[in-house]
Parts: sequence; structure tokens; C-alpha cells
Amino acid sequence: MKAILFVFPFVLAVAYFPISQCQNLPLIEHTCKQTPYYGLCVTSLKSDPRSKTAGDVQAIALIMVDIIKAKAGGALQHIEKLKQKYPALRVPLSACKDRFNAIIIGDVPQAVEALTKGDPKFAVDAANDAALEADSCERGFSGKSPITQMNKLNHDISIITASIVKMML
Amino acid sequence: MADSNVSYNPLPDGERPRPTRRRSIVLVLSGLLVVGFLVALLSDNGSIAPTNVIDNDNNNVNDNAQNGLNDVSSSSKDPERLRPFTSASSAGVSEKSNRRFGARTASYPWTNNMLSWQRTAFHFQPQKNWMNDPNGPVFYKGWYHLFYQYNPNGAIWGDIVWGHAVSKDLIHWYHLPLAMVADQWYDIMGVWTGSATILPDGKLMMLYTGSTNESVQVQNLAYPADPSDPLLIKWVKYPGNPVLVPPPGIGAKDFRDPTTAWLTSEGKWRIAIGSRINRTGITFVYDTKDFINYELLRGVLHGVPNTGMWECVDFYPVSTTGEHGLDTSHNGPGVKHVVKASMDDDRHDYYAIGTYHEKNVTWVPDNPEIDVGIGIRYDYGLFYASKTFYDQNKKRRVLWGWIGESDSEIADVKKGWASLQGIPRTVALDTKTGSNLLQWPVEEVDSLRLTSKEFKKIELKPGSVMPLDVGSATQLDIVAEFELDKAALEKTAESNVEFSCSSSEGSAERGALGPFGLLVLADDSLSEQTPVYFYIAKGKDGSLKTYFCTDQSRSSEANDVNKSKYGSFVPVLEGEKFSMRVLVDHSIVEGFAQGGRTTITSRVYPTKAIYGAARVFLFNNATGASVTSSLKAWQMNSAFIRPYPDDDDERHSGTEPTYEVRGSKTKYLGNLLTSSLLFLNARNNFL
Repeated sequence: MKAILFVFPFVLAVAYFPISQCQNLPLIEHTCKQTPYYGLCVTSLKSDPRSKTAGDVQAIALIMVDIIKAKAGGALQHIEKLKQKYPALRVPLSACKDRFNAIIIGDVPQAVEALTKGDPKFAVDAANDAALEADSCERGFSGKSPITQMNKLNHDISIITASIVKMML
Repeated sequence: MADSNVSYNPLPDGERPRPTRRRSIVLVLSGLLVVGFLVALLSDNGSIAPTNVIDNDNNNVNDNAQNGLNDVSSSSKDPERLRPFTSASSAGVSEKSNRRFGARTASYPWTNNMLSWQRTAFHFQPQKNWMNDPNGPVFYKGWYHLFYQYNPNGAIWGDIVWGHAVSKDLIHWYHLPLAMVADQWYDIMGVWTGSATILPDGKLMMLYTGSTNESVQVQNLAYPADPSDPLLIKWVKYPGNPVLVPPPGIGAKDFRDPTTAWLTSEGKWRIAIGSRINRTGITFVYDTKDFINYELLRGVLHGVPNTGMWECVDFYPVSTTGEHGLDTSHNGPGVKHVVKASMDDDRHDYYAIGTYHEKNVTWVPDNPEIDVGIGIRYDYGLFYASKTFYDQNKKRRVLWGWIGESDSEIADVKKGWASLQGIPRTVALDTKTGSNLLQWPVEEVDSLRLTSKEFKKIELKPGSVMPLDVGSATQLDIVAEFELDKAALEKTAESNVEFSCSSSEGSAERGALGPFGLLVLADDSLSEQTPVYFYIAKGKDGSLKTYFCTDQSRSSEANDVNKSKYGSFVPVLEGEKFSMRVLVDHSIVEGFAQGGRTTITSRVYPTKAIYGAARVFLFNNATGASVTSSLKAWQMNSAFIRPYPDDDDERHSGTEPTYEVRGSKTKYLGNLLTSSLLFLNARNNFL
């Protein structure tokens, strides 16, 4: 029993060795280590049951694209509610609606197509653009945004996706 | 590679605890480590330094240097090379690069007015939807043909098929029906890039990459259904496709974009196909007699470590003595060969000049330090997947390049289209330097010139901006020369700072001898402006080094467009003035310095400097030198790119459609009509 207490933190410490040693980690951890938001990357992927059977970086990337789609869809719903609650923010909220719509009808299909048909650089573009759209939505409020956390989340998962796909290039 | 956000708690080291208290100390330390781990994990949810877009060097592009955040972009490639190139990281390679997340500036709404202005007047683009790589360019039976990667279903990449257009002069294009669609198992996931070869007997062979039903990249053969049809409307795919599959050991998705074939002295045809082995970009070479059966030649034509996948490989001879182009099969004395490839990793096109050894199937660069993928780029802005062809009609080699968008998807979706082809350029060896190519807009571009305004020997003192009254400023061809005072050039103090367009402050960065040049797509108040300029730096040894840059940082008040600076070093020889040619065509600006030694293509999306509000200025922002400039600016006509008329007779005769407007009055009306139609069409799309 005491041996476990003894060993456990060392195991944890080893887990945070530099990237060059992360080859020994499972695919998700190894992949997420190479993104700027390790924790968010891991929790996002693990919240999706498909991540248990994901066999390669492409599979992981596709899961992340699905997460972008889901979060963008959630953002759209939330924005609709906020339009009622904050009529004064109608203009920037409408702009945000267009932006998340562009993610869903433009970026997500392009990313899926690029990953499945075999030209991943177009998925990098699409994911980068999704981050840009979330950021632009946020800017529209000139500092008085009611959805900063949501926009940041959408932005960050898009950045994670872009950096994962880049590993395939 | 980004570092982990989690702090690493080091193992305790140091003194040995006394044996009697060893166990308790270790337990306490273990407990601390556990706590440390949990804290690190839980604190990961918000980044302190917000990272933005991952650019193609895996750097976090963050240009908000004023806020004290590290500008990672400046830490990239060393610009001090034989042929220095701008660090790739912030050169707008990622077409959707970003700024600090959530910064407090208002986001700009795109109106239909702004968006419909963006369509070009004399650059090739389909009527709507997405386009990327140019394919199979060729001159055949009196017509120039351009095929291109096209999405018939939307303004994003996807469902890729071959679009098609023809022209008599590389400028006035007629849209034709799709040449090839994704209707076979071997190209059902995409009819991708390919090249044309004309055989001595006039037969036309088209090799292209198909993405199969299992997303494997294979090479396929296609040829005209009716070779006597000069418009080459219908195409047949060889029933025995694919003719090539990835060789053993090569990834199923690492094998694409076959080149035009060239004849060997044994009478066989030879083609090159790009690929990679781990991180080394390579090009395979195959021999064939019939375009159906191929022999993979031993080894590779060439490869360069750490360059990643080579897409759109191009291989062609250039004359060391003349300006005229050479047929792809040409070889012999007075010839060097160019190897070009598009780097999948950093989205740039690189070329290198070297010697081709036919017998042992190798190509050796003249200067390995500026080899393919690490040396000279065709263009220092947005320019990718380019391809040349030999134009036997005018005995020149012509270069096409895909120019993507650098705006945001919301705008592309709204405007219903994305991407252009660059203006076609001739390429030839620069016989004065011998170590780079020259690119220049094809001479037919000159036929678009309408009225001109000339300005002679305008003196620009340090820190001056001068408006140029050229009339309308959205379709322009400007040829400008600049001279600096010799004394100023000599007396300038030496600078140890290595200059790079992309990591500079753009045209706002004042040096002793630069920047100076043109401001295009500017409005009266200069709240929007796109400087295209020279910057002369003095090196440690007193030598002058000239840079040619385009600065997008103030090109638009919109904040969802690319704002990076593009450019590179440009050789300026003894006795040469500083010269540039700039083509402005709505949302595209193409700059050519020193006769085409360095070129920069940018996409510009102003919100105010559009239509009648666009202006051109001369500027000199140097601190230590006056600049004298002479220039000529032409209004450019529209190319009236439109569908080939449906009339059966005209189509079968293959002659140019007869309803082309001629004369300046009808051209003006035609221009007005076309603009109105485009505007109304655009308006209807948004209603």
C-alpha cells in the first residue's frame, strides 16, 4: 500500500517528461501533447466514445472536427436565446450567427472532405478558419461579450484540430 | 511543436534524508507531487498566453507585439541566406491567420457592396464556387486550354472535378462544360491535378491523379474524345485506369500530380511524380512508351530532407542564352533544368535551377543551399500549386498559379466563390544573374491597357506621400522606377539588423533608405492602404541589400482578413534603377520587382477603398534619402470572361465567338453592363 503511494507521483512525473518521450503514451495523450491546449484536447476527445477505438491521427482529427461541429451548433442555439435576452446586442449576435453558420456549412464539410478524401491541408485551413470565425464573433462585441467563454472554447478546439491535422502533412 | 501547458514537477533530488525519517519525508514529497499534478491539470483550462492559429511552421502566430506578447513569427528561418527568403511563419501561408483572441476591436460586417467589388475583371475565375490548382494547361489547335480543380457545389474545397476554359490569348477566356467528373472508382473521391503532353504526331495525352473509392492516390490517363474538336469539350478516360499506383513503401496518400512528359534520347517518355519518404520530399521518375505501361526508374530524380510532401512537381528546361521558352523535351548545350515543387507543409512553391543527367536520371542543383523547398520561391505572397506549359504558339514557357483567398469563410460563403488564377506569366532564366528565373505577365496583358497617365521625375522627400491622379484605381497596370540620391546611399550608416519583410513593421518601419513605393487600393484618408515597396538595408560590409515587400497590415479595416507582410530580397545589379510593375485588379494585387526577379501576389479586401473611392499614392517613408520616381499607370479593361456561346455552329467551327465588344465606347458600355450584371447577380444571391 505504501509502495503505491511511493511510486505513484514518480509515475505522474514521468508522464510529464518532454515530448520526445511521449511516444510511449497512448495515442490521445501523445497527439494532444503536440497541441497548444493539452488538457482541453484530452478532455474533449475522451468525452467522445469513439476516441477509445481511434487508431490513428486521422481518426482523432475527425472526432475533433465533429466536436467543432457540435460546439458550433450549440453556439447557434445559445445565440438565438441571447437575442431575446439582450435586444441591444442584436447586431453583433446576428454577425455571430453568420460566423457559426459559416463554420457549420463551410469549414466542417471542407475539413471532413479533406481528411476522408486524402488532402489534409484543406482541413488545416478549415480548422484555422473556424478559430478565426469564433474570434471575429467575439470582437463584434467590442469587449462587452456575453459569450466570451463559449467563443474561446470554440476557438481553442479549432486550434487544437488544426494542429492535429498538421501532424498528418 | 508546442510545449505542454502543464508544468513539470521535478523529482526531488539533493540531500539524502536520514534513514530514520526517510519514509515520512518521501511520503510528504509524494503528496506534494500529487497535489502539484492535480493543480497543473486543473489549471490547463485557460491559456494565459492565448494562442491563435497554428501556422505552417507550427508556430503560434501572434502579431500583437504591442501587448508585449512574444512575436513568435520573427524567430523563424534565418533570412541571411544566399537568396534570403522571408520567414515562412507569418508570411500569410495559413490563409486564415489570426490575431490575439478577443482583442477589443469591432468586427466589420461584410456588405454585398464590398463583396461583389472583390470579383476581378481580368483574372481567370469561374462564375461561382471554389477553384484551386490549374490543370493540364496546353495550346492545342489554335486555342489555349486551362483546366482547373473545381467544386461545382460550393465555395469550399470538395467534390473536386475538372473545370475547363479556352482562350485565344491567355486573357479573354470562355467557360466550357466540365471536362472530367468523378465518375469512376479510381477518381470517385476526387479528379485531382494533372498535366498534358502533346506528342509529335499531335496526339494529346492527359495524366491526372485520382483519389479512389478507398482514398488511394493513383494516376490515370485521359484523352480527347474527339481530337479534331479544337475546344476539346469531351474527354475519355482510358478503360484500363489506373495506369500507376503508389510504389511499394510509399503512402497511399503521398503520390500525386503527374507532370508533362518529356522525351528521352531513347525515344521513351519520362514523367515525374512528387511524394515523400518520412520528412524528405522527393520526386519519382517513370519511363513509358505508351502512357499506359510504366517503368519506375531506380531512385528518385531528387529529394530534399525536411521539406515534407512535394505536391505539383514541375520539371522543365530553360535556355541559358535566350529569353524564349523551350519545349519540355528539349535538352542539350545551353540548357539548364528547373525542378519545382509545392510544399504541402508551408504552402509555398519553390524552384531550383540545376543540371539534368538523363542517363542516370538525376538532377543536381547548381546551389544546394537554395535547393527545392529551402531556397527561392516563385512568389512571396499567395501562390501555390503552380504549373508551367510550353506554348509552342509563341515559343515561351507560361506559368499558372492558384491564388487562394485570405479572407474568412463567412465572406466566401456570402459571396459564393473562392480563389483566382494568377495572371499568367512567362518564365525564363535571368541571364544577368544566372541564379534565378524571371517572371513577367504575358504580353497579351498589355492589350487590356486603356488610357494612361504618365508622371516624370517626381521627387519625394523623406516622409512624403503623394496622390496620383490616375482616374479609377481598381483596375490598373503601373510601371514605376525609383532612384535614390547616390550620396544618400553611400553615407548611410551600416546596419547590423537583418531585415525581413514579414517580421518588419511593414511600410511604417522607417529606415534610412526605405521604405518607398506605391500605395494601392488606398482611400483618401489612407485609413486603408496596401503598400508595395522597396526597402534598402545596408549590411555589415557596406553592401546594399534590397527587399521588395507588400504590406497588408492596413489593407482593410476588417479584422478577419490576413494582415501579414509578404516579400523577400531582390537582386539589384549595378546601374539598375529600382523598378516595379504592379497589377491591381480588385481584390488581387501582383507586384513584379526588377523585371520579375521577385514577385508578390496578395489578396486585398478593403471596406472603403473600393469602387470610386480607391486611390493610388506614391510614398517615401525613408528617413535619410529622397526618392525620385517616374511611372506610367494604365486603366485596365475587363477581359469579359464568360461562357462560350451555346450556338452549335460557332462551337463546332471553333472560331472565336463573334459578339465580342470592340472599340473603347462599346468596351466602356460592355464594362458597365458586365459590372451591372455582376452586381445584380451578386445581389440576387444574397436575397
